[in-house]
Amino acid sequence: MNLVLVGLNHRTAPVELRECLAPPEPEIPRRLQEAMRLEQVREVLMVATCNRVEVLAAGEDGDPLAEQLTRWLADGAPVRPAVLKESLYVHQGHEAVRHLFRVAASLDSLVVGEPQILGQIKEAFRTAAEAGASRSVLNRLLHKTFQVAKKVRTETRIGSAAVSVASAAVDLARKIFDDLAGRKALLIGAGEMAELAAEHLLGHGVNRVMVANRTLSRAVELSERLGGEAMGLSGVADVLAEVDIVITSTGSPEPIITRRLARAALRRRRGRPLFFIDIAVPRDVEPKVGELDGCYLYDVDDLTEVAEAGRQSRAAEARAAERIVESEVVKFMNWLAGLRAVPTISALTAKAEAIRIAELNRTLRDLGQSEGPQAQAMDRLTRSLVKKLLHDPILFIKGGERGQDHRSRRAQREQLAMVRRIFNLGQEPED
Amino acid sequence: MSTALHWLALAFYLGATVVYLAFVISQRRGFFRMGRLILWIGWVLHTAAIAVAWVELGALPAASLRQSLDLFSWAIVGSALLLNLRLAIMVLGALAAPLGVVAMLAASVLPPAVQAPTPVFKSLWLTLHVATVMGAYGLLAVTCLGALLYLLLDWRIRAKKLGPLFKRLPSLSLVDALNHRALLAGFTLMTVGMITGAVYAQLVLGSYWRWDPKEVWSLITWLLYAALLHTRLVSGWRGRRGAWLAIAAFGVLLFTFIGVGLLMPGYHSFDAFTTVGGGQP
Repeated sequence: MNLVLVGLNHRTAPVELRECLAPPEPEIPRRLQEAMRLEQVREVLMVATCNRVEVLAAGEDGDPLAEQLTRWLADGAPVRPAVLKESLYVHQGHEAVRHLFRVAASLDSLVVGEPQILGQIKEAFRTAAEAGASRSVLNRLLHKTFQVAKKVRTETRIGSAAVSVASAAVDLARKIFDDLAGRKALLIGAGEMAELAAEHLLGHGVNRVMVANRTLSRAVELSERLGGEAMGLSGVADVLAEVDIVITSTGSPEPIITRRLARAALRRRRGRPLFFIDIAVPRDVEPKVGELDGCYLYDVDDLTEVAEAGRQSRAAEARAAERIVESEVVKFMNWLAGLRAVPTISALTAKAEAIRIAELNRTLRDLGQSEGPQAQAMDRLTRSLVKKLLHDPILFIKGGERGQDHRSRRAQREQLAMVRRIFNLGQEPED
Repeated sequence: MSTALHWLALAFYLGATVVYLAFVISQRRGFFRMGRLILWIGWVLHTAAIAVAWVELGALPAASLRQSLDLFSWAIVGSALLLNLRLAIMVLGALAAPLGVVAMLAASVLPPAVQAPTPVFKSLWLTLHVATVMGAYGLLAVTCLGALLYLLLDWRIRAKKLGPLFKRLPSLSLVDALNHRALLAGFTLMTVGMITGAVYAQLVLGSYWRWDPKEVWSLITWLLYAALLHTRLVSGWRGRRGAWLAIAAFGVLLFTFIGVGLLMPGYHSFDAFTTVGGGQP
């Protein structure tokens, strides 16, 4: 069994490309089932967030699987293959495992240590499991992933000092408004990330947060938690003249804040600046809004710049986290390799056991003693003889599994075949 | 006495410029505090130099371009220091100190006035006129610096590259508050300056307004600043447009202050003062 991960993230691709490849959430189960019909794919999982799209699949052969997966991911997206190729990364085997661990542990995040990504991967796993796309290998891998993420979180301080996107946004707001006391914020869309940003703003003196959402009930729910007021999306145009900071995170395919809307608001604001933070994919604020006099617009990619400083200060914590990831990758790869050797090992032990039982029974019959202390002693003797004789061959089979790229994978296959020939175990069963 | 104080003040301004530069480069608060202290000492010395000259001459030393530039330098540094008391914009000194040095150096290379000031120079109205206009010039120079700072900040925020320098720059709203106050105070003083000037002209020359080139350019400058204030208060031009207009207006102000006197003949030009005054004892 081999693992392949194909994806793109905030570092390799601009937000426009990421949104092209990220299917809307309800579409994901259908896409997964589509992927499952691919010849090479045995199991598959898809993580699509505003910062990344990752597809992880388990299958027999690495290279053709990677190729099929890439083609499938690009299928239907209005992107030129050449452009896509530059933005995609493809990891196989232990590299795929490491990448997944790093992503889940938030080491690969826009803001290292931000807590959302783990929840998003759990959600992706649930979706895949429900769609029947995650089976023994991915189940095991994802459970391991959650353990690793938890371990990194508890054993390093990477998350506790989380200078998240939210606090980066707060820093920027303070560059524009100086003191945030008495300022008002507006959340458009009630995403998890937006809530976090709003909490940060409230913690830095913003005195009121309004929430606008397509479904009013969700807005009411969130605004009650934040102690603000709720409204439908139609109310946005009116309150733009009052608020100072706008955080958008809707799933709307069309921009909510158009240039015209922002201009009208600015006129009524008498030039008081307006700060837009767009953490939605696709974008909620037209890019042209950021060119208006008195309007400042930051989207997810722009916040990278601000997050950069936080990343460096936590370099030591990140190194500790990387070490945890590294040792867990080795453990998982051993398990995965063991998985391949399992049929051979069980065939070998089964054969040895069959020989032992047959020979033991014949000898006992010849001696006329099927019960008693002598029979028990002989049973122990044969058992330990077999165990000791098989110990080294089994170690050899397992040891051959340590190889991780597909070349030593081929070597491993040859080793297994050799063991099967030596012990006359027959052909390796196809799985 | 006043000359010695003058050079000493200039030395302190230069020192403050260097220390402020070190502050901008290293971003260490210690340099800022030191620079501010040196600038304050320089300004107090400068004030003393002007006071001594005033006593020696018996009139506000503003008869020549040399003396006026010296007053201008004093007004710029003073405006920046006083506004800094209320608004914690640390880099303001780093901008005002070199500007003060330039104005003071320019004053130093010009020839000193040869003639003693005539009695008309001792008029209270003229003193008021010169003092308010100089105060206005200083404040409006700070407005121009603030506008430049605003443009720099706006540009950095839009470029989305927040370097280490950016961290210590003030916030946009603080710079906006500076521009607002400096403009409001500067415009008020300028208006008072024009009124006192007109009253003085009526007393000395017999008419409030003579369409002399300096007067015409002053009116243009005043109208520009009135427009700047109007657009800011009514239309909300606080952003880039307001900043560019503030810089343009200051350019016109500088021309009114220095260029008109040098290029266009008229009773207001610095050399003509003594002769006009001499004609009307």
